[in-house]
Amino acid sequence: MSQVIQDKVIDENLKWSKINHDLIRTMETPGKMWWTAVLVCVAMVACAVAAEIYQYKYGLGSVGLNNPHMWDMYIATFVFWIGMSHAGTLLSAILHIIHAQWRKPIYRFAEAMTTFSLMTAGFFPMIHLGRVWNLYWVLPYVSDRGIWPNFRSPLVWDAFAISTYLSASALFLVIGMIPDMAVLRDHTKGWRKKVYGLMALGWRGDDRQWRNFRRTYMLMACFLIPLAISVHSIVSSDFAMSIMPGWHITSFPPYFVAGALYSGCAAIMTLFVVLRYFYRWEDYMTKNIMEKTCKLTFAIAMVWTYLNLIEFSSVWYGHNVYDKELLIDKATGPYAAVFWTMIICGMVAPFGLVFQSWRRHMPTMFVMSIVLQISMFTERWMIVAPTLSMSHAPHQWDILWGSVIEWAIVFGSFGWFSLLFLLFCKFLPAISTYEVKELCFHLKHEIEEEKREAEQKAKNTSAAGSQQPVSGSPGLEGA
Amino acid sequence: MVQVIAGSVISSLTLTVVENIHRMKMMKGVKVNRRSFLKMLGWGGAGTALAGCDMPTTVTLEEGKEEVVSYLSPEEYVIPGVGVWYASTCTQCDAGCGLHGRVREGRALKLEGNPDSPLNNGKSCMMGQSGVQTHYNPDRVTSPMMRKGNSLQAVSWDEAMAELGKQVSSVSGDRFAFVSGSLSGHQSVLTSELLSKVGSKNHFAYETINTSIWQAVSKDLLGDAMPVIRYDKAGVILSFGADFLATWMSPVHNAGEYAKFRQGERGVLVQVEPKMTLTGGNADLWVPAAPGTEGVLALGIANIIVSRGWNKVDVPASVKTELAQYDLNKVEKITGIQGSKIKRIASLLSERGPALVLAGESTVGQAKGYEAASAVMLLNIIMGSVGTTIEPSVSFPENALAAKQGNTSSLKAFAQGLSDSKYDVVFFYNSNPIYSAPEALGVESGLDKVKFKVALTMFPDETALKADLVLPLNSAIEDWGTHVAAYQGGSATMSLQQPLMEPLYKETKGFGDIMIALLSKLDEGYKQFPDYYAYLRTSVKNMPAELTGGALASDESFWNGLLQKGVLKTTGVTGSLTATLAVAKVGTPTDHLDQTSLTLIPSARLGLWDGRHANIPWLQEAPDQISKVVWDSWAEMHPHTAAEMNLKNGDIVKIESKSGSIETQVAITKAIHRGAISVPMGQGHKEYGRYAKQTGANSLSILDPVFDHKTGELATHATQVKVSKTRKNQILIKMGGSDVQMGRSFVRTVSADQLRRTEGGA
Amino acid sequence: MSLSNILDNLSRFRQDAESERYGHHDYEHRFGMAIDLDICIGCNACSTACYAENNLPVVGKDYFEQGQAMHWMRIERYWDDEELEHPERGASFIPMMCQQCGAATCEPVCPVAATYHTPDGLNAQVYNRCIGSRYCSNNCPFRVRYFNFWSFYESSWPEPLNQQLNPDLSVRDKGVMEKCTFCIQRIRVAKDSAAREERNMIDGDVITACAQACPTNAIVFGDTMDPTSQVSLAWKKHEVKRGPYTHKEAKSDEEIRGYRVFDELNVDPSVMYLERVRDSEV
Repeated sequence: MSQVIQDKVIDENLKWSKINHDLIRTMETPGKMWWTAVLVCVAMVACAVAAEIYQYKYGLGSVGLNNPHMWDMYIATFVFWIGMSHAGTLLSAILHIIHAQWRKPIYRFAEAMTTFSLMTAGFFPMIHLGRVWNLYWVLPYVSDRGIWPNFRSPLVWDAFAISTYLSASALFLVIGMIPDMAVLRDHTKGWRKKVYGLMALGWRGDDRQWRNFRRTYMLMACFLIPLAISVHSIVSSDFAMSIMPGWHITSFPPYFVAGALYSGCAAIMTLFVVLRYFYRWEDYMTKNIMEKTCKLTFAIAMVWTYLNLIEFSSVWYGHNVYDKELLIDKATGPYAAVFWTMIICGMVAPFGLVFQSWRRHMPTMFVMSIVLQISMFTERWMIVAPTLSMSHAPHQWDILWGSVIEWAIVFGSFGWFSLLFLLFCKFLPAISTYEVKELCFHLKHEIEEEKREAEQKAKNTSAAGSQQPVSGSPGLEGA
Repeated sequence: MVQVIAGSVISSLTLTVVENIHRMKMMKGVKVNRRSFLKMLGWGGAGTALAGCDMPTTVTLEEGKEEVVSYLSPEEYVIPGVGVWYASTCTQCDAGCGLHGRVREGRALKLEGNPDSPLNNGKSCMMGQSGVQTHYNPDRVTSPMMRKGNSLQAVSWDEAMAELGKQVSSVSGDRFAFVSGSLSGHQSVLTSELLSKVGSKNHFAYETINTSIWQAVSKDLLGDAMPVIRYDKAGVILSFGADFLATWMSPVHNAGEYAKFRQGERGVLVQVEPKMTLTGGNADLWVPAAPGTEGVLALGIANIIVSRGWNKVDVPASVKTELAQYDLNKVEKITGIQGSKIKRIASLLSERGPALVLAGESTVGQAKGYEAASAVMLLNIIMGSVGTTIEPSVSFPENALAAKQGNTSSLKAFAQGLSDSKYDVVFFYNSNPIYSAPEALGVESGLDKVKFKVALTMFPDETALKADLVLPLNSAIEDWGTHVAAYQGGSATMSLQQPLMEPLYKETKGFGDIMIALLSKLDEGYKQFPDYYAYLRTSVKNMPAELTGGALASDESFWNGLLQKGVLKTTGVTGSLTATLAVAKVGTPTDHLDQTSLTLIPSARLGLWDGRHANIPWLQEAPDQISKVVWDSWAEMHPHTAAEMNLKNGDIVKIESKSGSIETQVAITKAIHRGAISVPMGQGHKEYGRYAKQTGANSLSILDPVFDHKTGELATHATQVKVSKTRKNQILIKMGGSDVQMGRSFVRTVSADQLRRTEGGA
Repeated sequence: MSLSNILDNLSRFRQDAESERYGHHDYEHRFGMAIDLDICIGCNACSTACYAENNLPVVGKDYFEQGQAMHWMRIERYWDDEELEHPERGASFIPMMCQQCGAATCEPVCPVAATYHTPDGLNAQVYNRCIGSRYCSNNCPFRVRYFNFWSFYESSWPEPLNQQLNPDLSVRDKGVMEKCTFCIQRIRVAKDSAAREERNMIDGDVITACAQACPTNAIVFGDTMDPTSQVSLAWKKHEVKRGPYTHKEAKSDEEIRGYRVFDELNVDPSVMYLERVRDSEV
């Protein structure tokens, strides 16, 4: 084993002006890289839009769906994006209320990721509708004919859950940005100043404002946590409430939530590496934070693995013919390659996170995060498709690999998400400067405190005549 | 049976705006002048007790003021939104089932069986159901066409009839030929009249799917060509390739009788055939005998029966000695069927009787088909079926109206005549020999020698497009006619075909109308009939009392009753049965089987039939009952045979006979003998409208010109083919993902013993 | 809704769940079928009759290949003797259409309640209300719900085939789910006629297109709540009862032929099948 490295979450001696500068630096006129990235994303979205126009015009048959496969990649991708949205809540809300300080430099972009992946996910239930123009019928609007949606349907719950979660997490993001908006307001000119000024809501940074801000933030965090958990539980009931083999599984809600956190953490790792590299934010996104993220991911991966194994074993020992047969078919049938990809990438690969040298090597972590995301994507696929391919009625068994239209839209959704994120990086602070400052301040304070204590101790011991050396604070060698 | 089903727009299934607009568009096409239509129909409504009227909402959406049905002054019997059922007759095959057709707002919408018809008792098959799609087919010929130069051009009826009259009156009798399918009733009478007026004897009634060898054997051995087969009385049916549930004799009638056979004291069905037919699929025991060895098997079974003394009829010693040469080992070797199984079949026949043994196409479609059928009939005779499960025929008392059944020996004769350049004028009615005759017969090239070919047809089929004059016919739903089915299962019935609606196209005419017009050019006597309806009306008026069952035919109420009922039931003439015991010299496979080749089985399907229904979308989309393949041809092969040639589902194979070759996809199934390859007939049209054209391959075209030596019938199952793999493949399109139940209890099975315990029976 | 109201409903639901009137509906009729698989010959007549009656589109070769065919009534054919060289005991045919389940799995999952239970005991599908989420079909163990993946009407009925369309029911456009309705248009007409004649519906007033066509009379259709109807008698004879599987009394004899497909899923299908019989001695 290599030598255990210890470093700090962040260098507490960062100048606040440097922090401000580093942030604003990223929001200046974009360079070639950014524009190229935007163009690529726009092209991807254009693919999806073209596919959707075709699908809208000619019908869902163009997606290649058929009688057993009424759902396919759209729903799998929907679940994938919804899952990804859970990471932001985890970092900003859960870790906030348990006072995990290391979250502070990275939670902002995670939160943005939450909102954007929800905005991506939201498209899928719409485009997968046969008659999307009647989408609003799932909402309980007041109809003069007294027609209501069917409140027993998990799809209606979905509509409520997702819209609530989207608005709550967007609000959380916007509220959390108020102090930073004030910084930006003070550092920009022109229309930007006006917009940031508006978003800063007259922030002056006085005590009363800070106090209220803290309270609101905490309240929102507490509200968001059960919401996030319920959202993915509800998404899981799209499947668990049905009677289909492979869907009708009691452990689905926790399994989905674990999977969601898993894929969210993986996404954070990806974006972490990307932002750190392109914005040269090594000072904020330190290897220490990456290590902690990795540890968290590993823990979640183990929970997910456990729940997965529970599912398999309960199916195996439950002797429900349909379920068992489906499980065997998944592992050995036409979808076997996809299934084993999921198992290897999702259950075996995370053990790489055990090695510290891997955790601290950014390119490795980039690859790792992609591997984990592949696992999560295939997991959703393996939930949706095989059940429909091999369900109760063998007469209707079939295999579906999707059509060009379907894959174009799935592909485009990644473009759409990336586009939103790119815009976010240019227009809004991807790092919470005030919390970074806070973190530095706290650290400095702690160190000073420690020093003072040490000095005090040294005085006491010298007074007592002892020559023991003072154990220093953790090394600063860093990267 | 609900005779009148009125309809309304169902409130719980209302339309979207898009759908409403679409419906409006659809209804524009209706061009029916109801007043004249109803006048024509007279009292024709079957059970005109109109069951109220729900206020219709979409009736007046049609374009054109004069065609709008007024709510205030509706036509007689026309209640907007209410369907009325009229009786008619199905012409989709020659079984002659009675129909009820639902008419609403002048459109025929749905066909159902006529419960008054003793043939089908209110039931129908998939082909009968799709009569409406024959009628509304988008590819109908809509005006007369005459060949001018190299192309067929639309002409007026006057011009067409003038040319036709000229040709028919100038042709000498023996150089005139009339090719048709099975014909009966007054259409048959008029055809005979035309032939006699021209002085010709060349009437070729040609049907690919027929039972003529069975009839010939019945005639020779039982003294009665069309004995009544009592499936319901049988305790065990042993069928040698007779697909009586789908294509043999009168399928709907047979299916009804089969249900009776299965219910109560449940009978046992054993089917011997190289390729599973629908009947085989329903058998208790399906026996894949080597192709062409069924006759040997029949005699082998007879030998067991006779040697064990199970025969119910005394068998002379000479027959016994002759049968003795078919000992079990020999039969086992020839047929490839385990001896124990053969013994079981024999013991079944004796234990479970009354027995009924049938012979169908795969057995009789051989060079020695007559002998094979005779061997089968021998089993009937020695098991005492004659008189019990095979009853004397009942035939329609008026011979002129009786069915002229189609067969393939007439095709042979016609093809011979063509190659000898015997004909100057040929009429084709309801037949398409260019498609359905084997290419080796040279019908297509032979037709070039005919000076004037007339096609009376609804569709631009292969033969019509070769013709010099194409006369567009009314569909069965637009035309008058009478039908006397050849096989009626013990009844003697004439079924009336009446128009359910006005013709869709102005330029189509009824077959009878054309015949009357033509005859009146040759005979002044026919000038009194303005059309076929008038002729039919007069003929019915003049019907003798023995046909009408004592009713006065000239009475108007008789005619009205006939229209309402759709059938005229009379007392038939009962035939008599005298069994002749003789052991036929059946063919053995050494006569024709080449070891390296496969036997081609052009199996007939309930659905596309002999190809005449390939233009019906419903039937193209309906999967084959056994293989479940749709929309294309396929070659069924046993997995073993396919594995030897390294073939998998969807691989395109080239099937080569001495007479030609076709290419089609492989469908692997265990329901076929290893030595056989089955390409169902019906597909592979070169013309015949958008649904039939270029779909699949025509297995009839590559049949070798082998004929049964006795009857001259085409030996459809005697063609040996070489099968070779091509590099092409496609996806085999079939219904159903899994062919097995995967442990699910979709179809549960109990044994007959259990059934007897729980539901009684023997 | 007061608490007592909820409790009342709950106890009534529990009561119904244990009785034959499984479910919580006030039924006027409960239409059902009895299909004898021993005399069903698998000939497709019912399926074609359904196409004719219910304006089912012909999707064509390509869409059929994609599995988008619209056969509400399909004849499934199974081979049971896989280990043998030939299927010596014939094929197993089963006409499969919507089973009009009493506790239908399709109903609760529809987000807009486009599929609901009628007082006639049918799973009605309201085309107008359907938004095409296809959840119902996903949740159907029989897989008998068919979705309009394309605007099939554009190509299925070229002129003048469209004139055959049954005006009693609509032509469906893309994006809606559809399935066997037990010929609801015929039921409505029969009910209306009976009401006009001021009488109750009697057995035989209405027959579905498939049952009407069936050459062997294998399909019996009728009201299972009418104790004198043919279908009721068949259900009774073969000891098949409405209600959930879990509350099922054992049959007096295990070998009695009546059964319902997927009864063990507690969906309470309205179609009783009679087991196919094969003579084991041959």
